[in-house]
Amino acid sequence: MANQTRPAAGGKSSTFRRRFSRRKGCRFCGDKTLKIDYKEVRTLRYFVTERGKIVPRRISGNCAEHQRKVCEAIKRARNIALLPFTASHSLD
Amino acid sequence: MRTYEHIFIVHPDSVGDDYTAVLDKFKKILTDQGANILKVDEWGARKLAYPVKKQTRGSYVLLIFEAVADVIAEFERRLRLDEKIIKFQTILLPNGAELSTDEPAEEAPAAEGPAAEETA
Repeated sequence: MANQTRPAAGGKSSTFRRRFSRRKGCRFCGDKTLKIDYKEVRTLRYFVTERGKIVPRRISGNCAEHQRKVCEAIKRARNIALLPFTASHSLD
Repeated sequence: MRTYEHIFIVHPDSVGDDYTAVLDKFKKILTDQGANILKVDEWGARKLAYPVKKQTRGSYVLLIFEAVADVIAEFERRLRLDEKIIKFQTILLPNGAELSTDEPAEEAPAAEGPAAEETA
């Protein structure tokens, strides 16, 4: 935990540590000015996959509270056609 | 009185006078019922993330207003009747408006709005 900032280059026996460096922690907790809003598709895009699935918490690093809010915002955005439900909506 | 945030999508074929007529009509429906419109934001024509009623584009209109709960039911009924509205969604702002710096956060009853949305 203490050496989270160190990338994989560290000489620490990182067998059960993360192999590759990954940004840790909830970005919404880190930056209180960030708002989760279903109308801001650009921030939400980060939390959906290319197929339109919601990125799980273990990948996105969100805390429970913010993941819940992100999740709800994505669902609202989907409902009003700001975000896709899936990538395969055929536009004819 | 509760504060709601409402988005509806106007059919892309209705432009100009048609479009303003639709907008005025629904604003009037709200004000006639004693709602207090705080903000109207027209996003203009945008591409939809998926086709709705065979349309791939639509004009988004965002309304923020104060109203009692009964107004929503009537308002949504009227929206459903109008063919120029292709989709809509009402969300309750639990902390009031806080003018445009709205926090969506949690909301309970208004979730019925989108859920009981027009038939897909």
